[in-house]
Amino acid sequence: MRASTLLSESLAVLGKELTAELRSRVALNAIGLFGLTTLIAVAYQIGPYQIQEQDRPYLLSALLWIILFFAATSGLSRVFVKEEDAHTAKTLRLAARPLAVFAGKYLFNLILLSALFSLIVPLYCALMSYRVRGVAGLAVVLAAGAVALASTSTIVAAIIARASGSTTLFAILSVPLVLPLLVMLIQGTRAAAASAELAAVLPALQGIVSLGGAVLTVSVYLFPVVWHD
Amino acid sequence: MEAISVEFTKVGKRFGARAVLAAVSGTLRPGEVLVVAGPNGAGKSTLLNILAGVLRPSRGGVAYRRGDEEVPRREWFENLGMASPDMAVYEELSAIENLRFFGRLRGHALADGALAELLETLGLPVREHHRAVGTYSSGMKQRVKLAQAALHAPAVLLLDEPSSNLDAAGHEAVAALVARFRARAAVAVATNDPREIAWGDARLDLAL
Repeated sequence: MRASTLLSESLAVLGKELTAELRSRVALNAIGLFGLTTLIAVAYQIGPYQIQEQDRPYLLSALLWIILFFAATSGLSRVFVKEEDAHTAKTLRLAARPLAVFAGKYLFNLILLSALFSLIVPLYCALMSYRVRGVAGLAVVLAAGAVALASTSTIVAAIIARASGSTTLFAILSVPLVLPLLVMLIQGTRAAAASAELAAVLPALQGIVSLGGAVLTVSVYLFPVVWHD
Repeated sequence: MEAISVEFTKVGKRFGARAVLAAVSGTLRPGEVLVVAGPNGAGKSTLLNILAGVLRPSRGGVAYRRGDEEVPRREWFENLGMASPDMAVYEELSAIENLRFFGRLRGHALADGALAELLETLGLPVREHHRAVGTYSSGMKQRVKLAQAALHAPAVLLLDEPSSNLDAAGHEAVAALVARFRARAAVAVATNDPREIAWGDARLDLAL
């Protein structure tokens, strides 16, 4: 019988990830630099006044998620590849339950995404003069988006790490999982921008939560196979 | 930790068309050190990985037994400590932080004093315990790796080239570690080093 609990193992993995990241700052730098560079390039080239008023909710919502998604991809895909590259994967595999590894890495990706959203979204709204009527609705969409994107990124990162760490493979595997999610996130963000009512984001939110929940559930069953075989 | 023996029967492994191991059998008994010897490429590391359960054999099987009872495969890892050249500890963390982390994962959260003592017995002086492992020499990293394997007092200890990168004092520290485990655990050492071969109570020679 194992002396540790799943929760304590998951928190140990999360703690290790946070400590290692705060010391190396590899993922934080990649995500932050990519996010800020893309944001400034978009703001400089397009700016708030280059878009017709009637197109603003559509284009600004789509541009926001393009910036967030690509910035996130640059950092989140490393979470398992770095274990294989540093030869720590086998050491970790022998010491921790697969589900604890997945949970710890998932929570770490969730924290990274939350940090990215907290940095980029307010800056984007300011630089692009993106007025959001439903701030609470946007916050709910961003929170649900972070949960769903973190689960997708974590399981895909695990698969590519076992397939010799190809970031191209990360992109290819992500498309069928991420594309519908991004479409719903853009719709939810657009709805939050247009209406102060929380109910306006509900149709998109249902889709985001359903897809995120489905990916998370499948990942819990799939991850032990990916991690050990 | 209760005594566990590891039986392997006609274990074979192929990587594509290349056969690395062919029908190897034996038993790792508690209170014994099994030395696995053989030239480079004979499959010593492959056999240890199969015994650990991190690599599936192409043929044959491995069973962990506690007395007459077979230990379920899902419980192998918690009874196992391993150090091999393809394993590493975290370079961003210090030696103590690494051991604290692996201890928490295994439910053996030892006090820092006990972790420091373990590192010292393996020849890593106290002044180095709180420095990031990334700044260590390869011999110092090897000592932390061995401490990670021994941390939870496992019933089965698998060591692949345990003295690699170590000086004479390091070799003596590993010999003492193996002697300590011999008393209560099943130990396998894969090596070509004549000094390590001398530790064996039983010997398995693999051929190319």
